[in-house]
Amino acid sequence: MRNAYVDQFPAEAKVIKAAFWSSFLALAIGGSLGLLQALHRTDVLRIMEAPDYYTVLTAHGVLLAITFTIFFLVGIFTWGVTTSLDRGLVDLRFTWGWYAMMVVGTVLVGVSILGGVVDAIPMNADVLFTFYAPLQPHPAFYVGLVLFVVGTWLAGADWFRTWLAWRSDNPDERIPLPTFMALTTTLFWYLCTLGVALSILLLLLPWSLGIVDSVNPLLTRTLFWYFGHAVVYFWLMPAYMLWYVMLPKLSGGKLFSDPLARVVFVLFLLLSTPTGIHHQYLDPGIAEGYKFIAMTNTMFLLLPSLLTAFTVVASMEHGARQRGGTGYLGWLKALPWRDPVFTGMALAGLMFAAAGFSGMINAGMNINYLVHNTWWIVGHFHLTVGTAVALTFMAAAYWFIPQVTGKELWNRSLGLVQVLVWFVGMTFMSNAMHRSGLFGVPRRTAEPQYENFAFEPAAGSMGEINAQVALGATLLTVSLALFLLNMVMTSLGGSSDEIPDNTYAETLSGPEDAPVVLDNLKLWTAIATVLVIFAYTLPLASIIDAGGLFGPGIDGFQLAIEAGPAFVLESVREVIA
Amino acid sequence: MRISKGALLVVIAVLIPFIVEFRTALSWFGIEISVLESLVLGAVVVLAIVIWAVWPPNGDAEAEPTGSS
Amino acid sequence: MNIHTYEKAWLVAAMVLIVGFMATITYGAVGPGIAMIDDDGGTIDPAEINDHERFGEPGVEHVGDDEYEVAVVAQAWSYTPEQIEVPADSEVTFYVTSRDVTHSFSVVGTNVNTMVIPGQISEMTVRFDEPGEYGILCNEYCGEYHHTMEGKLNVVPEDEFDLTELSVDAPSEVEAGNETTITANVSNGMQEDLETTVALEIGDQGSERDVTVPGDGSEEVEFTVDSAELGEGDHDWTVTVDDYEETGTLTVVNATDGGDGSAASGGDGDA
Repeated sequence: MRNAYVDQFPAEAKVIKAAFWSSFLALAIGGSLGLLQALHRTDVLRIMEAPDYYTVLTAHGVLLAITFTIFFLVGIFTWGVTTSLDRGLVDLRFTWGWYAMMVVGTVLVGVSILGGVVDAIPMNADVLFTFYAPLQPHPAFYVGLVLFVVGTWLAGADWFRTWLAWRSDNPDERIPLPTFMALTTTLFWYLCTLGVALSILLLLLPWSLGIVDSVNPLLTRTLFWYFGHAVVYFWLMPAYMLWYVMLPKLSGGKLFSDPLARVVFVLFLLLSTPTGIHHQYLDPGIAEGYKFIAMTNTMFLLLPSLLTAFTVVASMEHGARQRGGTGYLGWLKALPWRDPVFTGMALAGLMFAAAGFSGMINAGMNINYLVHNTWWIVGHFHLTVGTAVALTFMAAAYWFIPQVTGKELWNRSLGLVQVLVWFVGMTFMSNAMHRSGLFGVPRRTAEPQYENFAFEPAAGSMGEINAQVALGATLLTVSLALFLLNMVMTSLGGSSDEIPDNTYAETLSGPEDAPVVLDNLKLWTAIATVLVIFAYTLPLASIIDAGGLFGPGIDGFQLAIEAGPAFVLESVREVIA
Repeated sequence: MRISKGALLVVIAVLIPFIVEFRTALSWFGIEISVLESLVLGAVVVLAIVIWAVWPPNGDAEAEPTGSS
Repeated sequence: MNIHTYEKAWLVAAMVLIVGFMATITYGAVGPGIAMIDDDGGTIDPAEINDHERFGEPGVEHVGDDEYEVAVVAQAWSYTPEQIEVPADSEVTFYVTSRDVTHSFSVVGTNVNTMVIPGQISEMTVRFDEPGEYGILCNEYCGEYHHTMEGKLNVVPEDEFDLTELSVDAPSEVEAGNETTITANVSNGMQEDLETTVALEIGDQGSERDVTVPGDGSEEVEFTVDSAELGEGDHDWTVTVDDYEETGTLTVVNATDGGDGSAASGGDGDA
């Protein structure tokens, strides 16, 4: 008797399937645009005008960092909550409601960005993922973002009410680990999105509609990063969840420690938000002390990630030894390397370790000056969100799509090749990006070729760096195509009885070893709130005090000038003269 | 086979960054090797690993892990 | 809570690593004195940049001893000034602000790197130990032609650095037999007095004048030119002060010709 997720929760499986396909669609579009950019930047193939690069970059950033990751997240968390509580969602109409809201939000944002290259759409949102005012998008861009975020809030409410319903039936039980993870993640998501939602609704949207005529760019920027760093943990947490609850089982063993997994997620709840100012080490108008506080919090965030590295590797070793592995390192041979789900997640974890090292450099307040806004940063986050998250999600899809459709994976070997090609492609691309950042090559730049100077690599040449990036991006696109092919072919296939049961990893040290206080979500939320107040009240107060809530008459700019740069430069010079 | 085909593929994939960066590392010591030489070197190392992997293990000290899951 | 021994060891090692990182950075701030961009620069209304005491006339200013201040205005898609020259081994404080959107001011290959946010003034003090040439670029997206935004920073040896400017006022033609005047204006942006020599060469004649230009001031030097000695025709002239040179042409015309207007332009401009 088959006991896959679709057999246990057929209605929820439909929602999850819809969320996954929304996510894959964003991945397909955003990923392909990535190739276009990589080839343009490296001057291998330029099929678009330089200004269009920024439209494409906006779409790439928003579709991959927000749409792809978060649609997948809501699918995974819905799976985790329902599976671990062993009960369905309270009201499926509500569930479809938040899903629809997220879709509408995405479409609004997508169309407004598309307006940057399609003349028929009278919109423009060439503001990149960070939408720093006074660059000004069409109001639809802001409205879409808000709808999307509110959709995720309702998704969180859905998981909470399901948990509360379960709680009334099971008053004395510990919160099952996957649910615990989903709930703590949702809590810090509420905390951090509050900042950007207020920023958009009270400051940016009225400004873009012409209701108020000015913004304070430093204020909206600070409110963006109030959300902007926590969001990276938001999309990382489902990957962590999979590493904790899936990877040990795939390795053939059990999770090393349930209590420490809880500690890790509590630490993320506490520290995700009061770190955002570390993206603003180079910003004027923020005193050094506030930057130092953000750095301290950031450095302590290394702790849960280092703990995760230990637990995940220990769990894998445990699994390998259950499978007959021996020796100090010989057990590695006993791991199920032919399984794309395992191999993809393991390689994603390996690359995340590398990303951790470059992240430590970024977090260092003084070393950051060398790499801030260089291509190094892009290399860093292509290892984190672009591999630790994306590769884990793709690998997980090889397990989840059969679970939610009841159809067997079309081609497992192709899946293995796909995750390996991603790993190799990302190695080339992110390594070259990191290296070029060290000698000052900027990020977010369509054609980084300057008239007054040339970049001087410490080793190798700029041409070599560009070749590695172009090669890497091409391999990544091939990998992406293989993934999508496998997903489509799987969905076209027939129902199968060979689907494994829907379970997750058991633990060596279970929740009974974890202090009950770890499950006290109110307490942790209260402490997290206090930390946020501590980290943000004074900086925000001083920014508002110095520049005003709305700034000194700063208009919006849509820097798209028909006449080209020469004309603008000339007129600017006239103003100066 | 000493290791499974899947593990062999993974080993080769993980080897690639080392081969790429070996060239960079050498240049720090003033040793410049061309891309072609680097490729040849990589091919030799990969070949050696493949031969090691498919060579029948001498003795039966270790059970042969199949790597299937 | 039940924690495995290895995990405890790992936990301790992780904490040591974290505290170690913070210690090195704290040392960097306290020991070698690596300062962060902070709120010292203050705020500014972008609409009033042109009237601002510092940004109204952006550029390099000598403020005493080996201390210099550089005011830079960033706008889509250029810096004003585009070329900056500062002496090596001196304390240079940059003040940067933006006229429109968020930019950066990043000296390539160094840690001189700051965001430039409208309404804010970024202030940072640096010392370049060695002379060299650096590119300046904007690494924050600032609109369609963001990638064309660049500048240049030349760090010159301390003894070769000055803030001397030369401008020359000269007529383009003079009637034969008349005298005329070529006026050199030498300004000195340094705080100390500048002792130098202004030289004029015209035709095959030359004259030199020693001047002392006061600190943060300027001096005018007049050269009287007698057209009778030059004779009719075009005469190229050159005024030099140290490394600065200004050239032009003086045409001596016969009064009866009434001037044929063929004279080349007189020199008038900054060195």
